[in-house]
Amino acid sequence: MTSKFKHDIESPLQKQNRHKAMEAIRIINTLKDDFKNPIESMNYFYKLFEDVFCNQKSLHDGKLKVGTMCIQIPSEIIYALDAVPIRLCNGFYSDDEIGSDYMPQKSCPLVRSTVGHFASGNFSDKPHLIYSPTTCDQKTKAGVTIESFGYEVVDVDFPRVKDSEISREYFRRSIREFAIDLSKKTGNKLNKKSLKQSIAKIGYAQSLYHKLCEYRKKKNIVISGNDMFFVTNAFFFDKIDSWIDACENLLKECKQREDENLFVNGKISPRIVYTGSPPIFPNYKVPIVIEESDGIIVADETCSSNRMFNDRVAVDEWFVNDMLDSMADKYLKACTCPIFTKNDDRIRRIIDLVKTYSADGVVYQSFAGCTVYEAEQRSVLEAMEKEGIPILYIESDYSPSQGGQLTTRVEAFIESLKTRKRIKK
Amino acid sequence: MLSRLKRTVNNVNLIRFRNIIQILTFILFIYGGYFAIDLGSRLPIFACPYNDTTSGACYLIPLQHQLSMPTQVLLGGASIAVITGILVFLFWFVFLNKAWCGYVCPFGTLQDWMTKLRKSIGIRYSTYTQHQFEKLSKIKYIFLFIVLVFPLLMGVGLLGSEWSAAFCKICPARIITPMFSGDFSQWAIDFSSKTAILLTTLGVVFAGLFFIGSFIKKRFFCFFCPMSALHYIFSKISIVQFKKDGSKCTRCGDCYAVCDMQIKDIADNVTDTNILRDDCILCLKCIAACPEDDVLHFDIFKIKAFTSTKEGFEKRMGIEYLKANNDK
Repeated sequence: MTSKFKHDIESPLQKQNRHKAMEAIRIINTLKDDFKNPIESMNYFYKLFEDVFCNQKSLHDGKLKVGTMCIQIPSEIIYALDAVPIRLCNGFYSDDEIGSDYMPQKSCPLVRSTVGHFASGNFSDKPHLIYSPTTCDQKTKAGVTIESFGYEVVDVDFPRVKDSEISREYFRRSIREFAIDLSKKTGNKLNKKSLKQSIAKIGYAQSLYHKLCEYRKKKNIVISGNDMFFVTNAFFFDKIDSWIDACENLLKECKQREDENLFVNGKISPRIVYTGSPPIFPNYKVPIVIEESDGIIVADETCSSNRMFNDRVAVDEWFVNDMLDSMADKYLKACTCPIFTKNDDRIRRIIDLVKTYSADGVVYQSFAGCTVYEAEQRSVLEAMEKEGIPILYIESDYSPSQGGQLTTRVEAFIESLKTRKRIKK
Repeated sequence: MLSRLKRTVNNVNLIRFRNIIQILTFILFIYGGYFAIDLGSRLPIFACPYNDTTSGACYLIPLQHQLSMPTQVLLGGASIAVITGILVFLFWFVFLNKAWCGYVCPFGTLQDWMTKLRKSIGIRYSTYTQHQFEKLSKIKYIFLFIVLVFPLLMGVGLLGSEWSAAFCKICPARIITPMFSGDFSQWAIDFSSKTAILLTTLGVVFAGLFFIGSFIKKRFFCFFCPMSALHYIFSKISIVQFKKDGSKCTRCGDCYAVCDMQIKDIADNVTDTNILRDDCILCLKCIAACPEDDVLHFDIFKIKAFTSTKEGFEKRMGIEYLKANNDK
């Protein structure tokens, strides 16, 4: 009889998980149910996010899990050493709240929530050690805070000038050091064969992303921008082979949908290039508002998607050191992160994306407190104005309270783009 | 039909294609004489006439001989011969531009074979630092100066006859190419005069350095080649051009990473459409290694003959066949 009335008191950990699960499922359900013509093979990704973020399912038991703080740590090397890379950038408001106790009030929500995630230690796949490239100030200092929670954090020197030959040499050395360090920690030796194979594997994964993007260049679009963010965000933590299979299925379905004329855009839906601070699950606040207001994200320039997948490693002589150097080059030279001193590359990239994907406008999101994106806003806006490309600059954070104001601004922007399109017609 | 052809060309396995061309042209220029082939002596490559079995000869030797004529002769009757010489040289050059270096020059091919040897032993190549590169890359203009100005000084009587074809005396191709038809007689120092001792000693030293250098460094000699400098002066008039569309370039540096000649501009310059630099040998490895569509392209008569494509990149980097080889 007594057992009928027995109830467990929720532990703080359980409570946090419940809150995170609520955040996660809300976004998953929005994507699943609120948009027209859902893609069946996206269910793999919805399920994946639900498993990991709502049910705390571990994907990589028995493997050495290597946490990375930014995209500049080559996953190729991690895979070649038989470990698993897990990108730790976080998008949960629940974690953001915990993290605000450890980071300055004005710091960016992405860093705060990443720190918060570590502070709670509440992982479905807890990283054994963390490599932190010295990108922006906040990430760099976050590494120190995370270390104080008892994690092993290794700084990977990353230069903040990109054009110079000194930087190139510097980062090449830095990547070699990283490879040696990880090799010691895994107890595996880096060899030619395994490294070449993992370059090919990541390259193949990238090629699938490129193929998906081909569909987004067309007049009628088969896959929404939010779904694409799901796909690319899944790459942060998914098993690479399953991810590859899922993308192959997705590609097949895209082809099929094209033949059946099943599209996600309306006749006059404005095509948007998305840039700035990265949408990381479940913080899809801005992208969802865009697509709910009848905009369609056709391309992006963020480190959670395009910047992560676009550029590829080319090797001339397949020796270990040559491969390492080529990787270092790719992760440094092609990077359009705003932490770099001069950053015309980012502007050129956005303009090129607008042209190649026939976009009607650009949405530039900057997390409040992300100084580098905030600082670059002016120059990007100027450049877009020069090119005659409409752009909307939005400052946002992870809090759920901003909805109304955000929706009004985005809707107005999308409406103005529609009017432009109508007049042009 | 046309698009299918284009696709096949853009997906070509450049390394294999180049190997075949290089072997064929090496045989042609080293042993062509046996087959009574004579392509004249105005060729824009190091096919050395000191090798008796060559089927054609390097333009630098007649150029030096002509320029060393007494000034009155040079500006008088002989000027026609000089001009026709240049025109014949340009005629050859207009077809291939610097691709003569990357695909035809037997001396260049030889260096690629040294590279292959190094690779097969498993030794990694060396590179210059950017600073060294900038300095070394100017040496070819000093050599070009020797090719063009020393003969003129002879013509006006400021230099003696032992300076005749001074560059050829120090050129390692004179010593090395005849070896391939069994002639090792050029490995010698000429003791007839002080100048001859100096020049031929330099020649032997350079020949030795050539083997060591090209074993360590890809296309070692091409950094110093005066023919390459001469090419560059005329490169704009060729029917083949090497172009870049900077607006699509992400400056990922893949082209720079594979460049035998370490040309940084190829990756970093996004404003010039003509991206041919004086060190370039037009091997087109950069186009093959470019992962973006249409950023780098090799044009013939302004038509894109070979252009960078995502698909071609994937094929050449062995990405496409991954599934078949790896997983299943």
